Amino acid sequence: MNAIVSNLAQPVGQPKTAERDLLLRVDNVSLSFGGVKAITNISFDIQKGEIRAIIGPNGAGKTSMLNVINGFYHPQEGTITWRGEVRRKMKPYEAASQGIARTFQNVALFKGMTTLDNIMSGRSLKMHRNFLWQMAWFGPARQEEIEHRRKVEDIIDFLEIQAIRKTPVGKLPYGLQKRVELGRALAMEPELLLLDEPMAGMNLEEKEDMSRFIVDVNQEFGTTIALIEHDMGVVMDLSDRVVVLDYGKKIADGPPEEVQASQAVIDAYLGVSH
Amino acid sequence: MFYREAGQFKTSYEADQALFPIRQDRIGLAVILLIAFVGIPLTANDFVLTSIMIPFLVFSLSAIGLNILTGFAGQLSLGTGAFMGVGAYAAYKLTSLFPDVNVIVMVLCSGFFSAAIGAVFGLPSLRIKGLYLAVTTLAAQFFLEWCFIRIPWLYNYNASGAIEIPSRDMFGILVTGPEATPLTRYFIVLAITSVIALLMANVLRGRIGRSWMMIRDMDIAAELMGIRPLQTKLLAFAVSSFICGVAGAMMVFFWLSAAEPSSYSIKLSFQILFMVILGGLGSLSGAFMGAAFIWILPVVLKFVPGMLGFDIEAATVEHLTFMIVGALIIFFLIVEPHGFARLWQIGKQKLRVWPFPY
Repeated sequence: MNAIVSNLAQPVGQPKTAERDLLLRVDNVSLSFGGVKAITNISFDIQKGEIRAIIGPNGAGKTSMLNVINGFYHPQEGTITWRGEVRRKMKPYEAASQGIARTFQNVALFKGMTTLDNIMSGRSLKMHRNFLWQMAWFGPARQEEIEHRRKVEDIIDFLEIQAIRKTPVGKLPYGLQKRVELGRALAMEPELLLLDEPMAGMNLEEKEDMSRFIVDVNQEFGTTIALIEHDMGVVMDLSDRVVVLDYGKKIADGPPEEVQASQAVIDAYLGVSH
Repeated sequence: MFYREAGQFKTSYEADQALFPIRQDRIGLAVILLIAFVGIPLTANDFVLTSIMIPFLVFSLSAIGLNILTGFAGQLSLGTGAFMGVGAYAAYKLTSLFPDVNVIVMVLCSGFFSAAIGAVFGLPSLRIKGLYLAVTTLAAQFFLEWCFIRIPWLYNYNASGAIEIPSRDMFGILVTGPEATPLTRYFIVLAITSVIALLMANVLRGRIGRSWMMIRDMDIAAELMGIRPLQTKLLAFAVSSFICGVAGAMMVFFWLSAAEPSSYSIKLSFQILFMVILGGLGSLSGAFMGAAFIWILPVVLKFVPGMLGFDIEAATVEHLTFMIVGALIIFFLIVEPHGFARLWQIGKQKLRVWPFPY
């Protein structure tokens, strides 16, 4: 595990003095699909090392926000500043190579592959041996494979999924699939980990396990986490700061206690008579 | 009882990542290779070699090629026949332009031509998926077939419109053309097929193979893990077409000795596709099993009535063969839609716990 920690502990980029701890800042981002405005003029930031929750009722634009951050959607207006650099339009794989990893709301694992291969796939960006070496297998390609296998085994140990190493993920129960998906994202050794409803459809015990993993990832590896979740108990316990969206607009931003007390948030969740 | 890995502990990742981690599998493979390289050459007659084994190996190789594209990278293609044709015509042109160069080098080089053309016709795959992509590869099939007919330069302005393979020798042994002995041709085809199969097995278990499967299983997530969809898909098209091209070249150089454009028609594409589907998408051994089923079974069936002493007309036997093979295809697809490779896997799984399944 030490290897992963030390890799992540390296300083990244040269942040501008005013934004020393800022990892990501979203400024006045708007995104619309035809006439539908998914996100309207939203600004918030994510600081290095924090757990940032994004919450809001269904259809509030949370997942769209994550899609903007990792390059699936290109916002019509606004800018995204990543590690102090204003980001141009980028493709998802560029975001991936810059250290943004992501899990999905409905599990998006590679169903035909084993748990091991799924997590190994997270290391694709870090493996470089070309086609000819791969054909030969013996020699550098195998060495590289084994080197990365060691790291993957660390993650398997960390997530306690040793027993399902060689099982095709399509056969696994839902809770374990979510865990494998987290493992796959961790294998990328990301700086920013985007979790889209990591606890959806889990029972209490699985939620507790998953919460523990999220806190451990944040504290042991120092990974910054942006999290979408509907379970308010989990959100309030885990997150350092919470941003609340409703109908594509930001209605609150701050520490959990502050957000909980906000009248706009209460109105958005409970509904209000006009 | 006999097929069990109990007691075979793996103590290193090297051992765990071996192609055949279980000892019994390694013995099985050794036996198969022994039969292929020693047993068959010693016992088989010319008919078995030219009508069964050589075409079986050629089709197996092209099924591996298509399997890489369709089974591993998830891109459906109906252009296999045309890509095989490109290999055949390229090898033919190369060997007539440079008659002194070793013909096997030419056969392997022809793969690069089909790889380039395959990559070009793979370009739509970035935008189009599934059946629609199959239709665009159909364009490759028709366009290339048209080229084989209409561009006389490709067949050296031969009056018959067909390519006829000249006799070429290697270390003093005749290897191509009608005069070459079936045994020589069999050994060459067997060697090329097994080497390419081994190299592909290596690619498929490494990073590149994984990236193809990532694209197949969930392309959005793959993109997010840093896979570039265009490069990955085009590489799959190129590698697949390379193998199909080599298979196509072998088909005419070491089996048919002469080929017309119609040898590489859509019928061939479908034949290879059925081999891949029946054998099992995403399995190298499945490609061999599928090829054996589609090619060897009908040939063998034709001789069954004669051996059993029935006196049936040849045409009737032909019809019966068609019916039996058709029924068997339906039967196997109902029993196991994932093909022989999966059946084989299930069988092995059962064998591991036999005779105490609980």
